[in-house]
Amino acid sequence: MIRLDNVTKIYKGETRAVDGVTVNIEKGEFVFLVGESGSGKSTMLRLLTAEEPATEGDVHVAGKDLSRISNWRVPYLRRNIGSVFQDFKLLPQKTVYENVAFALEVIGRPRNIISTQVPAILELVGLSHKQQSFPDELSGGEQQRVSIARAFVNRPLILLADEPTGNLDPNTAQEIMRLLDRINRTGTTVVMATHDQTIVDQMRRRVIALRAGQVVRDEQQGVYA
Amino acid sequence: MAGFLGRAGYFSRETWLNIRRNLTLTVAAILTVAVGVMLVGLGLMARYASANALGRWQGGVQFEIFLEPDVAGGQIDALGEELRNHPDIERIQFVTQDQAFGLLEEMLVDEPELLAEVSVESLPPSYRVVPRIAEGEIIESLAAQFRQRPGVYSVETGRQQVDAIREWFNSFRWIVLLMSIVLAAASALLIFNMIRVAMFARRREIEVMKLVGATNSFIRLPFILEGMLHGLAGGVVGAVAAGALRSHVEELFGRSEILAFFRSFTVTSGQFTTATIATVLMGVIVGALGSAFAAGRFLDV
Repeated sequence: MIRLDNVTKIYKGETRAVDGVTVNIEKGEFVFLVGESGSGKSTMLRLLTAEEPATEGDVHVAGKDLSRISNWRVPYLRRNIGSVFQDFKLLPQKTVYENVAFALEVIGRPRNIISTQVPAILELVGLSHKQQSFPDELSGGEQQRVSIARAFVNRPLILLADEPTGNLDPNTAQEIMRLLDRINRTGTTVVMATHDQTIVDQMRRRVIALRAGQVVRDEQQGVYA
Repeated sequence: MAGFLGRAGYFSRETWLNIRRNLTLTVAAILTVAVGVMLVGLGLMARYASANALGRWQGGVQFEIFLEPDVAGGQIDALGEELRNHPDIERIQFVTQDQAFGLLEEMLVDEPELLAEVSVESLPPSYRVVPRIAEGEIIESLAAQFRQRPGVYSVETGRQQVDAIREWFNSFRWIVLLMSIVLAAASALLIFNMIRVAMFARRREIEVMKLVGATNSFIRLPFILEGMLHGLAGGVVGAVAAGALRSHVEELFGRSEILAFFRSFTVTSGQFTTATIATVLMGVIVGALGSAFAAGRFLDV
C-alpha cells in the first residue's frame, strides 16, 4: 500500500529531513511513526500525500509512483488518503454536518450520496446528536472526531494522522485511539505520527522510529522507546 | 444531472459569498472596469461614426463640379456627356438649381433670414462625380481637368475634408485606445488583487479542499466566476454609460451650430449593438484574465 525506496528529502539544499528511508507498509496495517520533533515524521507524511516531492528515491502510494504522477492526478491520489491533524483543521463557520459534507461536495459527489454517507459516518464517530453544532461548541475530542469523520467519509484506503492526540487529554486520546482502531479494522491502512508514549505502548502495533530523518527501529508490536 | 446541479449550486453560493465579503473592493473593481470598457465602447463608436461620415465621400461622391448659375443648357449637356464617357469616371449625378436650393433649405432650416437672401437662380447647378478609383491623386487630376472648362464655376473635392476628419478621428481613437488599455490593465490588476484577498480569506477552506482531493479547477472555478462576474457588471455599467454618452453627444451635435459639422457622424443601431456587445465582452474578458491569473498563481498542488 505504501512503499518508500531509499527516499531522501532535502529542504532548501541543506536540511535532510528524511534521509535514505526504506519502508514497506502493507494494506490494513496500523503503523506508529515515532521520534522527536524534527525527526522527519511530518515530512514523511507530506511525501505520502504528494505535498512535497522526494529529492531522491521512489515513493509509491496506493499503487501510484509519486515521482511520476502528474500534477492534475494528485487530487485523485488524495481521494484515497484521509488526513487527520493535531489542530483538526475544521472550518469554523460550518456546522459539523457541513464540515463533513464539504469533503464530499468538493470532490463532486452527488447530493443523495452526501445525505446518506454523512449521517452514517457521524453515527460511526458518535456525533449524530451534534450534527448542527459549530466546531467552537465542541470539546477537543469531539472536534477531532469530526475531523476523523471528514477524513474517513470517502472511505479512503489510507488514513494518515499527524499527532491526532497531541492536543487532547489522556482519556479523550484513548477515545480517539479506539476510533482509529475501529477504522483500521475495516481494512484501512493507518499511519499515525505521535509523541504519545502511553498510547504506543498500549496499542502494541508496528512502530517505526525515526531520528534525524533515518529509520532507527522498525518493530512489529513495538513500544515507544 | 443531480451531481451537476449540486455543483452549480455550490459554485453560485460560493461566488456570491465571496462578492459579499469584499463589497468595497468589488465596487472599485466594477467601476474601473466600467470606465475602461466605456472608453472601448466610445472608441468603437467613434470608429463607426468616422467610417459612416467618410463613407458619404468615399463610397459615393468624390468631387463636385459647380457650374455658373447662368450656364447655357447646351454646355450642361455637353459637360455631362463628356463626364459620362470619361474612362476614369464611374457615374455622375446632376444636381439642378432647384435641388441645390432644397439642400440649402435643409441646412439653413434654423436661419430663414439667411435663406431669404438666396434665390434659386443664384445657385450653381452641379455634377457630383463618382470616379472609378477613389484615390487622392486621381481625383485631383480629374478635378483639374474640369476646372478650366467653359461654364464651370468651381470644382470641390472631398479630399481635404476627408483627410481632416480622418486625422482627427485617428488621434481620438489612439488616445481612447491607449486610455482603455491602461484602464483595462488597472481593472485586471484590481480584480487580480481582489481574488487574491478572497483566496487569502478562504485559505483554510482551500487547504481542506486540497487535503480531501478537490481538483485545482474545482477550487479555482468559483474565484474565476467571481472575477468574470465583476467584469460582466463593469461591462454592463460601462456599456450603459457609453450609450448615454452617445445620445448626449448626438443631441449636442444636433443642437450646436459650431458642431454642425459633426452631424454626419452618427452610429447606426446595429453598430451600437455591436459596440455594446464588444464592451460587455471586454469586461468579462478582463475579469476572467485577472481572476484566472490570480487563481493560477496562488493555488498550487
